Amino acid sequence: MLKNYFKTAWRSIVRNKAFSLINIIGLSIGIAASLLLFIVVQYELSYDTFQPNYNRIYRVATQDKFDKDITYNSGIPVPALKALRAEFPQIQFGALQSAYGSQVTVPADKNETGNKFIEETGVFFIEPQLFDVFKYQWLTGSPASLKDPNNVVLDEKTATKYFGTWQQAIGKTVVLDNAITLKVNGILKNTPANSDLPLSVIISYVTLEKCGQSYNHFDTWNTTSSNFNIMALLPPAVKMDDVDRGLLQFSKNHYQPLQSNSIKTNFLQPLSTFHFDRRFASFGDHVTSKSTLLTLSLIGIFIILMACVNFINLATALSVNRSKEVGIRKVLGSNRSQLFGQIMSETAVIVGISILAALGITWAVLPYIKHIASIQEQLSLFTIQNLIMVVSIGIIVTLLAGLYPSLVLSKYNPITALKNKMVTAGVSGVSLRRGLVIMQFTISQVLIIATTVAISQMNFISKAELGFNKEGVLILNGKSDSISLSKQSAFKQQLLQIPGVQSVSFNNDPPSSDNLWSTNFAYNHQPDEKFQISLKFTDADYLKTFGLQLLTGRSPVESDTMREVMINETLVKKLGIKNPNEVIGKVIRIGRNQWYPVVGVVKDFKTSSLREDIKPTLITTRKTFYYCTGIKIRTQQLANTQLAIQKVWNQFYPEYAYSSQFFDENIERFYQQEEQLSLLYKIFAGLAIFISCLGLYGLVSFMAVQKTKEVGIRKVLGASIISLLQLFSKEFTILIIVSFFISVPVAWYMMHSWLNNFVYRIPLSSWFFITAIVSSIAIAWITVGYKAIKAAIANPVKALRSE
Amino acid sequence: MIELKHISKWYQVGGKPTFILKDINLTIKEGEFVSIMGPSGSGKSTLLHILGMLDDANEGEYHFMDQPVHSLKEKQRSQIYKQHVGFVFQAYHLIDELTVYENIETPLIYQNIKTNERKAMVADMIDRFNIVGKKDLFPTQLSGGQQQLVGIARALIAKPKLLLADEPTGNLNSKQGEEIMDLFKQLNKEGVTIIQVTHSEKNAGYGSHIINLLDGRIEKTN
Repeated sequence: MLKNYFKTAWRSIVRNKAFSLINIIGLSIGIAASLLLFIVVQYELSYDTFQPNYNRIYRVATQDKFDKDITYNSGIPVPALKALRAEFPQIQFGALQSAYGSQVTVPADKNETGNKFIEETGVFFIEPQLFDVFKYQWLTGSPASLKDPNNVVLDEKTATKYFGTWQQAIGKTVVLDNAITLKVNGILKNTPANSDLPLSVIISYVTLEKCGQSYNHFDTWNTTSSNFNIMALLPPAVKMDDVDRGLLQFSKNHYQPLQSNSIKTNFLQPLSTFHFDRRFASFGDHVTSKSTLLTLSLIGIFIILMACVNFINLATALSVNRSKEVGIRKVLGSNRSQLFGQIMSETAVIVGISILAALGITWAVLPYIKHIASIQEQLSLFTIQNLIMVVSIGIIVTLLAGLYPSLVLSKYNPITALKNKMVTAGVSGVSLRRGLVIMQFTISQVLIIATTVAISQMNFISKAELGFNKEGVLILNGKSDSISLSKQSAFKQQLLQIPGVQSVSFNNDPPSSDNLWSTNFAYNHQPDEKFQISLKFTDADYLKTFGLQLLTGRSPVESDTMREVMINETLVKKLGIKNPNEVIGKVIRIGRNQWYPVVGVVKDFKTSSLREDIKPTLITTRKTFYYCTGIKIRTQQLANTQLAIQKVWNQFYPEYAYSSQFFDENIERFYQQEEQLSLLYKIFAGLAIFISCLGLYGLVSFMAVQKTKEVGIRKVLGASIISLLQLFSKEFTILIIVSFFISVPVAWYMMHSWLNNFVYRIPLSSWFFITAIVSSIAIAWITVGYKAIKAAIANPVKALRSE
Repeated sequence: MIELKHISKWYQVGGKPTFILKDINLTIKEGEFVSIMGPSGSGKSTLLHILGMLDDANEGEYHFMDQPVHSLKEKQRSQIYKQHVGFVFQAYHLIDELTVYENIETPLIYQNIKTNERKAMVADMIDRFNIVGKKDLFPTQLSGGQQQLVGIARALIAKPKLLLADEPTGNLNSKQGEEIMDLFKQLNKEGVTIIQVTHSEKNAGYGSHIINLLDGRIEKTN
């Protein structure tokens, strides 16, 4: 029976080639698109789930409650570690301190300076106890390898990078930041790519006792750095809420005596939120918000739905043609369930073919997925989860797409079916079809609006007035140890000799960054203000190099320590002062430091991404924090200038690897996720439009056949071609307008909340909506046009003769 | 075999019932060859459809082989129908997607007969109708007469006791029509009860009885 079903199914697919093709193209694109999105979403959700204690691992994080807002920090003051161990003996704690941009030097026999590697991420100082919490696979060695100072454990790929093979690495030494010599005594298997704690160079935590300062590791209750984290493994019986209550008391005991301007509280952050909570810094390469994942899943579902809608529409339209066959089958003794089975199996065959095509498309597209998602790893298509997904998509789509047509067809009364009088079924079929077309166009229009809004916002961002010059500034990362600092002025002189170099500035931070260095402060001998200020330490050439503009006063004079400060416009405003000139000569104190005079006010510039407000900022001098070198270069002969800069660097700092980025590239990285989302919208809006046009084309071709006689009669009666075209396009135009009114509120709500992520955003003007309706009507007309014109200009005699 | 008592069928048009069949009483014994005649709109086809259980009467009783068809459930009725009734149409109504062989086979599939048995039965039927050479062709590749031959073969494949034919020769030329009617006569001799609707006096002559319908009533039987 089944074999017979499939045989007839295949024949009817071949017979209705155009319809089958439309269905298969639509479905396979839809399935491929949602499969890809499934792979992305699934990958993001899989972060760290390989940890055996996934559900019991937490980070002890910190929140600071200020007057008006709350800030969150994944870090915690260093002394909390001992205190936590003493006060929560039932919980296992493990601490880690991360280091960014560290240089690892691998001594070589002949080469005096050795091979230098810059490790942007992955360098950690870690306690052996951390491995009680997080489990990693050891190729050799054990957590005990990290008991003593100056020991290092490498992961397999780093060991291979340094020494050729990991076996050769054991027992060798490496030098960290030209200061600490470390002995390799353990090798870890590579951390899976879907981890927010990728370890590559793991140094014993006790090593920090001697060099903590260089890594911002201060053993005081006053400092909280997101680089120092305490992880906790709760025993199975212990509940997070109970621990949080304990931590509340713990925070009161330890932080209240500090008398800071905020209420500081520690609390547990579950490992399952590490990858999704943008309030906390991540050691991994990106954080994905759950709402993004939800958007992706919804788009996936929508695309599949649209393809199913095509199927249902075309199948019900075709059912009029098939009524005769259904009638005969009923006369030959088929009962309803047998007919139902037959039509369902036809659907299953089409879905099956589409799935095969979809797998092919997915396989071809998968390597490009890194452009729409922050996934660098090469993902595999044939995993168990994906196959389960494909099978369930197959079943669901078959049911969704096949159910209605099968019900309609199998319900036919054989006598009326044989007489081709499908009036009643036709009417209900048409209204359902209208509903489905409306649904399709609603989805496409929502996506069109989302796309245009996202593109405009991203354009707005890239053209926004930042208040500084981001073009042609090269940023070199260095270290601020005393030897390097002593060479700085000579280094600068040498750089300025290069013809392409316009100016050079040493600083801790370019104007716009995601740096979180902020502190409490007081103004004009008053008590501490209720808000924090961000700090930037720079030399006198900072303004010139980055093109910042002075509003009044002057830059602080060149000095190795703090002497004078300059503040930004926002800070002036937040202090409630109208005239910037008033602050000149007043004093400011940061933390518990001395009072320093304000000598200048700098015009506002964007201190971070445009998602955030401009932060009140203080700019001052202090040489020990000058890790960064900003170099303004002429855009002509860029390559030569860069080479010359590198040569000077190597001459001055042979022990440090040269690493440089252009400032504007750094800024672009702020918006990586938004750029990806906007690209995603573009692609999927395109697909949605394509799929709905396919469906529309199918419906119109069917209509053209159905209306041949009507058109013929009308023409004989003297109808013009224009009025005949209206016959075809009127209904679709109305449907599109109806769906427009549904899509407007949906898209408005969606994009309004997306734009709210940005402090600096475009208004949601009516043009976005007008564009959507005009373009969808235009697209629909073009789609309908060809078939409609063909039907309208056909010879009426021919049309009528065939009756 | 068949007994109709007070069978009426009507449609509501503008709130008033329009009768298609009115108070039909009819008995047909096994082995008879009955022709139903009458002008267009007299209710011939409707009567045939009711006899074939494809349509319901609004009123009256229908006994088929001592079973009260009018009060049976859909499923039981379908069971009786599948086993005992074969249908032949004026427009042949073959399934265009299926070959001759498959068209003939289809009713057996719906009766859940096993593949091997099915093969044997279809092969017999194809032999008997002398269409071995055409079994892999599709309906559109056949002449009208050949198509109707296939339609009859298909109607007979499940060895029905009753063969219903709705103007079986209506679309055929006279020679083809004669052949079909000869075949019917032959089948009737072999024991198949046949009821046919026809316009043609000549064709009606092949039967043992003629029922004349006019405006939904039996005018006369002979």
